[in-house]
Amino acid sequence: MGQCCLSNAKPELSRFSSISCAKMFAAAIASSCLLLSACGGDASDQSIDGVSRTPIIQCEISNDSLKGNRVLPITLPGNLIWQTNVVDPEFTDPLAKRGGVFRTFMLTFPMTLRRVGPDSNGAFANYLRPLMMGTTQRHPNTLNHMPQLASSWAFGADGKTVYFKLNPKARWSDGQPVKAEDYLFAVYQMRSKFIVDPWYNDYYTNVLVDIRKYDDYTIGVAGKAPRPPDEMLEEYGVTPTACHAHKLDANWLKDYNWLAEPVTGPYTLSRMEKGKFVEFKRVKDWWGNDERYYRYRFNPDIVRVSVIRDMETAYRHFEKGELDSFGLTLPDLWYEKARGEVYDNGYIGRIWYYTNSPSSGNGFWLNMDDPLLADRNVRLGLAHAMNFEKMIATVLHGDYVRSNTHFAGLGDYTNTTIKARPFDIAAAGRYFDAAGYSRRGPDGIRVNAAGKRLQVNVSYGNKIHSDRLTVLQSEARLTGVDLQLQLMDGAAAFKKMREKHHQAAWTAWGGNNFVPAYWEFYHSDNAHKVQTNNVVNMADPAMDKLIDEFRTSTDKPHRAELAHQIEQRVFESGALIPGTNVPYVRDGFWRWLKLPPFHGTRLSGFAYSTGLFDPLYDGLFWIDADEQKATLAARKSNTPLKRINITDTTWKARGP
Amino acid sequence: MLPKQPLASSPLTIKPLANKPLANKPLGNKPLANKQWRRFRAIRRGYYSAVALLVLLALSLGAELLVNNRALVVSYESHLYFPTYGAFLPGTTFGFDYAFETNYRALAARFAAERVAHPNARRNWVLMPVVPYDPLESDFKSGVYPPYAPSADHWLGTDTTGRDIVARLLYGFRTAMAFALLLLAMNYVVGVALGCLMGYYGGWFDLLFQRLIEIWSNVPFLYVIMIIASIVVPNFFTLVLVMVAFGWMSMTWYMRTAAYREKAREYVLAARALGASPMRVIFRHILPNTVSILVTFAPFSIVAGITALTALDYLGFGLPPPTPSWGEMLNQGTDNLNKAWIVSSVVAAMSLVLLMVTFLGEAVREAFDPRKYSYYE
Repeated sequence: MGQCCLSNAKPELSRFSSISCAKMFAAAIASSCLLLSACGGDASDQSIDGVSRTPIIQCEISNDSLKGNRVLPITLPGNLIWQTNVVDPEFTDPLAKRGGVFRTFMLTFPMTLRRVGPDSNGAFANYLRPLMMGTTQRHPNTLNHMPQLASSWAFGADGKTVYFKLNPKARWSDGQPVKAEDYLFAVYQMRSKFIVDPWYNDYYTNVLVDIRKYDDYTIGVAGKAPRPPDEMLEEYGVTPTACHAHKLDANWLKDYNWLAEPVTGPYTLSRMEKGKFVEFKRVKDWWGNDERYYRYRFNPDIVRVSVIRDMETAYRHFEKGELDSFGLTLPDLWYEKARGEVYDNGYIGRIWYYTNSPSSGNGFWLNMDDPLLADRNVRLGLAHAMNFEKMIATVLHGDYVRSNTHFAGLGDYTNTTIKARPFDIAAAGRYFDAAGYSRRGPDGIRVNAAGKRLQVNVSYGNKIHSDRLTVLQSEARLTGVDLQLQLMDGAAAFKKMREKHHQAAWTAWGGNNFVPAYWEFYHSDNAHKVQTNNVVNMADPAMDKLIDEFRTSTDKPHRAELAHQIEQRVFESGALIPGTNVPYVRDGFWRWLKLPPFHGTRLSGFAYSTGLFDPLYDGLFWIDADEQKATLAARKSNTPLKRINITDTTWKARGP
Repeated sequence: MLPKQPLASSPLTIKPLANKPLANKPLGNKPLANKQWRRFRAIRRGYYSAVALLVLLALSLGAELLVNNRALVVSYESHLYFPTYGAFLPGTTFGFDYAFETNYRALAARFAAERVAHPNARRNWVLMPVVPYDPLESDFKSGVYPPYAPSADHWLGTDTTGRDIVARLLYGFRTAMAFALLLLAMNYVVGVALGCLMGYYGGWFDLLFQRLIEIWSNVPFLYVIMIIASIVVPNFFTLVLVMVAFGWMSMTWYMRTAAYREKAREYVLAARALGASPMRVIFRHILPNTVSILVTFAPFSIVAGITALTALDYLGFGLPPPTPSWGEMLNQGTDNLNKAWIVSSVVAAMSLVLLMVTFLGEAVREAFDPRKYSYYE
């Protein structure tokens, strides 16, 4: 399921954060005690090692429990063609060893263990959500769908329904089988007002419109609009919730704040101490152990996530050997801090791994409703006035890569023929001259016949970018344009842009979508309106036609062709000056962590993946206990080992 | 027998050092001011701080002549150019092929190379300022990444964007001082006028403004600044105006008290009896007699002004980048503690300036202390 992070950015309710931890803890204890008495003292309720588990109740959901638009047939259509994927290559290493404790860190302790509702969208969601598997998942290299909880799938004739046959082997972490009811319950829960989460309420009502059980292991799902098959699997796939673990009522939000629910993934929350750490333990005899694409993965027995409230301190812990790996993607860490004896002696290895994952657009978004930027010549002049080459070569240590289009890394949808306009003083001058800004004022900035200076206000919301923009600003002066930088609070900058009060907005859009979302960015439906993503105010009938066609077509090659044309029009309009991209992950790791020979996947570091040493989502690495002993002994006696310095360019700029 | 010299009737008329050179009496024949000045001069550290600050201020006003990437003088083809002030000179002026501003360091290097190549040709030369860098200019070196450590080129190193720290310190000082002085002047104009009026008129006018000030001073200033900064780019003058909007209150209390006290004195009664208007009484009679309050508070207000601007810039709600500012440098320095030259330069500069202003303030307060020199019965 794809979603745009920024548009989905749910404001955390401050009143929740003001409640002290002690109070929350008391509430959790009290609520778990109540449940305990209500359910006759089932052992699973008890708090063991600081973790309270959800109670076991009777699951009472059925097809009749769901309201709304029931568009799915009552009986399973007979003419379905079931398909699966067992032919894509595995991306795991059969030599991987099980066992050991993997130690990593988080900057803050989570405010809740719920996956939905207030305060659930924090960083800890990256640990909880991967443990709840869905029906299918994209193969991280081929990007085809591969089975997850569903073993096969079929598509309805209307182009907007999909049917899943569920894998009967799938088990919840408490041993119960994963059945069709759990999928119905998931949709029922996501639609419920008790979860206090409007984004999910809306998605499971208006995007995914119906779900139906045909037997214990067969379900059908209907979406609002037709989609190509692979996008239907993504958009209309469902992540089940254990029906037998949730008593969904007005108290759910409060009662389930600190309860660990059953999961389908390989690890379950086993120990925690509030404010200190959480520990995940591998599920005993996990159902996926022998499944294609899932075997030889998720190798450590225990994943321990400690709270370290400061990056600098966390890095020191890593260097002392108290954390097993550390993300080194930032230039400052990679080039400055991650140096010295522990690296030279080979105790800690460094790996630079290039990836090729979707990018949802970043750069300067020019508001075409602005009187100055309404002139295409000014927009194109500006594009040639931005010296990204110098910015990358200086403050970014030559690491980043220039983006060329809005959407990239989306396979067939990416238009790779477009190249962003380079810094070119002469070209910029020609465009500015054509726009009437042909004379230079006393300060070297161009002025037009009316004496108006060529000045563009750039609003942005992240202090880290000041250095980069300063370089662009001083270089732009050479072409005669004055960029006025306006650093704002992140939320305020975002709001300003979405209300179309900006001239040029410097921002990156989040999202983990494999399909370009052109309607929200470039359709006239969203132009000249506040709070829409068409921040460039593109209103072009030809563009609308392309986008409408893109939205209704189910033929993928045709859609790809349309996507290329749309990007071409965006390029020609000059509404977007594409920024930079970070097409890699960099990690430091203690010698005893082992990776498969291919190190990672095309999507390492994307979506829930934290990098090459992601324990719960990718789980490709393992811990070598013998190597650990040897490394620690060598370190004690100060014996150098062979240095590990890996650069893997397998996925570097390999096509779209 | 010579008649005895008459005794001075009051200390106010004594001119014990009347035969000293005029240079020591910058305030002319006003004996009280004269004594205060001499007393101020006697407090050495305050006096020298004042001198040093004035020198620094003068230097910073002429910063373009000391720290700049524009040359002071260029002699090219027998023509003299003075690029420091005024419109920019495009590269084409000196035979470069570009229309943007001439890079004078490159020009100097080119002339030097030409002299070596053609020793007998006409001599072109460039005179650069002491520090040939602009505070907004990034000086990147190929292969190494900023911030650069102190070197012969950059005496105090560069910041994370490769800008010279000496240049940013000096221009930042000018901004901070200009800000603090302007803020001081505007705060005093509003605060003094209102305070005097409140004290002089009293009654409902006084009560009303007292309550208004109490309410107004409870508005959280930092939040207001944050809100404003998120809506508009705060420039120098909007920032001063916002600070004045929340800074004028403290002065009113002192002036109100002083005006109350002075109002009851005989010279005020006399002026009123002669038919002077309230405005004349306040601004021509009362105000000059309360000037010691203003003078005493001024240096401390400057300290507060500099600190406030630095704090706002540090938090990112102050002047927009790339304005050279101490707060922004402090922010960079604390983010890059391992590049100690950034944080140590700005902390040292700031401590020094604030210390000197404080010394100056102490000396002024001492010199103007009314317990020594007011002789009211």
